[in-house]
Amino acid sequence: MNYTMLTLIGIAAAVITGTIFASLYRSPINAQDLSKTEQLGGHTPGYPSVKTTGDVLDPTSLPIEPKNAALDPAKYLREFNYGRISEAANGTTIREFTLIASDQDTKEISPGVFYNVWTFNGTVPAPTLRATEGDLIRINFINNGTHFHTLHFHGIHPAEMDGVFEGIAPGGKFTYEFIAEPFGVFPYHCHIQPLEEHISHGLYGALIIDPKEPRPSADELVMIMNGFDTDFDTENNFYAVNTIPYYYMHHPIQIEKNKLVRIYLLNMLEFDPLNNFHLHANMFHFYPSGTLQTPSDYTDVATMNQGERGIMEFSYKYPGKYMFHAHKTEFAEKGWMGTFLVKDMAVGDKSINESSNNPSSLSTPDYLTQLNNNSNTTGLKPPGGIE
Amino acid sequence: MEIEEGSNATKTSKITSRTILLGIIPFVVLGAMIIFLLNSPETLFPNSIKPLPEVSIEKIELSDGRIDVFVRNTGPSEITIAQADVNDRIHPAAIEPGRTLARLAGAKVVIPFVWNAGEPYEIGITTADGTRFSKAIDSAAQAPVPTFGQASTFALIGTYVGVIPVMMGLLWYPFIRRLSANKYNFFLSLTVGLLVFLGIDALLESNEIAINSLAATFNGQILIIIVAAVSLLSLLYVSQKLVVRASRASKSDIDYIDNSKSEPRGVGTSRPVVSSSQQQLLVRPIAISMMIAIGIGLHNFGEGLAIGAAVLLGEVALSSFLILGFALHNTTEGLAIVAPMAKTRRIPIAKLLIMGLIAGVPTIIGTWLGGFLYSPIATIIFLSIGAGAIFQVVYGIGSWMYHMNGSRGLLTNASIIAGFATGMLIMYLTGLLI
Repeated sequence: MNYTMLTLIGIAAAVITGTIFASLYRSPINAQDLSKTEQLGGHTPGYPSVKTTGDVLDPTSLPIEPKNAALDPAKYLREFNYGRISEAANGTTIREFTLIASDQDTKEISPGVFYNVWTFNGTVPAPTLRATEGDLIRINFINNGTHFHTLHFHGIHPAEMDGVFEGIAPGGKFTYEFIAEPFGVFPYHCHIQPLEEHISHGLYGALIIDPKEPRPSADELVMIMNGFDTDFDTENNFYAVNTIPYYYMHHPIQIEKNKLVRIYLLNMLEFDPLNNFHLHANMFHFYPSGTLQTPSDYTDVATMNQGERGIMEFSYKYPGKYMFHAHKTEFAEKGWMGTFLVKDMAVGDKSINESSNNPSSLSTPDYLTQLNNNSNTTGLKPPGGIE
Repeated sequence: MEIEEGSNATKTSKITSRTILLGIIPFVVLGAMIIFLLNSPETLFPNSIKPLPEVSIEKIELSDGRIDVFVRNTGPSEITIAQADVNDRIHPAAIEPGRTLARLAGAKVVIPFVWNAGEPYEIGITTADGTRFSKAIDSAAQAPVPTFGQASTFALIGTYVGVIPVMMGLLWYPFIRRLSANKYNFFLSLTVGLLVFLGIDALLESNEIAINSLAATFNGQILIIIVAAVSLLSLLYVSQKLVVRASRASKSDIDYIDNSKSEPRGVGTSRPVVSSSQQQLLVRPIAISMMIAIGIGLHNFGEGLAIGAAVLLGEVALSSFLILGFALHNTTEGLAIVAPMAKTRRIPIAKLLIMGLIAGVPTIIGTWLGGFLYSPIATIIFLSIGAGAIFQVVYGIGSWMYHMNGSRGLLTNASIIAGFATGMLIMYLTGLLI
């Protein structure tokens, strides 16, 4: 029996084993190196957190780079475009807008995730157009894309202004013109087949038609519930209001205590049949499509099918930070969540302002921080019933 | 083999610098083409589209309050990882060493997450272009950590699954020695049946791993064939050397060596057409048994890797029943080792024990490596080496039986056919217990 040979086989086997494991697990990972560490997790109270020497992947608390983003949600929220205003011979107000379609841009729709967005005027959603009932709306539409595109408005208008049967070729132009009626909130979007493709890529926006008798003064916001199917499996990978997932979690929407807030809410989500909006610690009056002056409901959840929209009105009784999110929690946990930061202008509390700029403050509810820091000096009290 | 070396030597002396130059020319042309293509303008192939990214999730480890996901960029170009999710719900995560992965580079994604034992999960990794790659965990379980306690548990599993069954099988040695020639043929071919089953089983199992756990880039199925073939051929070479050396060492069978040397190249030196002296009869079966022990050892190493990996990946719940199944399945391996030695002089118990250990102990080492450092490619390679080793043994026993039965032939012998079929059937039936 030759044991030299056996030894050789043994050594060969050992060398092969060693090489394989070494090459596969010659890992540059060194979790013990604490020289450059960051902490992550812990964004939800009681949640585990870990330290890392690598990169943090956290869309829930990391702000998106505005340069590459498909939208600046802070700007979009309160931006209303009234158009170039002129007056017709009969006294009608003419509002003239220009919308340019394009379909070749790749932009960031969640931190680090790039998607080929199709846009009107470069953003998803497109700019919010606003007019008063009875105005003449004129839209100079230019197709700068490589596909046919149109503009299709919801509302009342002639057939040839419906933007369905006359597609505008790449490089083409068209002027849409109609009287703004009735008052309410309406989506507009491209209506070229395949419709799902054109809408889900981002060709949509909001049109607000104000009643002749203006609604009561309010802090007005536009929110479009949307999502993106970045891997083209006809299921959304990302959900949000106003495109960027979690944006209003780390950039809370600041509103005033006891001041009326009016949200123009639209559902332009593709693929999923339903979407909804849930407001925390409050109730709102809901006006479906915004076409009637009396609310149909006083509730805290509004559920919408594709293309549905409405107006929500509410005011907060207590200051502090409040969540709003899809009560379809799957959507919430894929980005569709945000926060309102209610400020008490009478007290003029500064600490709320400071904490609002600090994403890490999300780990502790603000009213708890308030309690710990200055429970004796401010008039702030935690909402009753919460621990 | 000596002839081969000689002919090589004459050619070697003729290699000149001119020859080397002629050999290099194609490489120079190839190098020029590579430089041209790497520097060519993009307009050269105007229709080329951006390659799709591909991420392989190789391993997921669950520990207290966190999930560690080992990913590898198996696509054609560099990628950037954008986010991670659990059950398709976005979660904050970290990626070490960094989010950008060069081709074939690996990284670890750490997700702080409170998981529930026994529940299935799906882990997703999304790249910068929004493509999501996912891998399922069948049943969440704490990943084994290389502590002394866990290593002992694996050692215990390996002992029950590998060492004890093989040793029990060796107890058949006295029984085998008492058998008549025909019954002996039956048990020898039964051994062949067992081994063929093990070989096929190893190939199928590595094929399954290649399909399910290995990125297409690694060409797992081709790798199986290459490794098994190389393993088979090199072990054939080694075993022939063993037989020849052992015979030579005994200095009483010059006849055998001379004859084998004079055989034409290409015909296996093992063909027992030469002298059937006593010496060869004594030496050869022991060599075959040793090769069987080594082959089964390699096989058990692969099996140990698979068991350890299954525990790590939460694919099996280890139970006494499962271990009993493996044990029954593997007891036959001991029989395979002793069967060829039935007609030789009595083998010292120490030697038998060594063979048993060679066959059984690798199971323990396999469970350690598989459980603590799972690697699909390593598992595939070892299962394939084991398959090659087993087929070498099959060849060894086959030619030995051919030699023993002489001109009567193998396929006309009913007990041989019955033995082979029984061997396969035993393995199939005990396999149902696993």
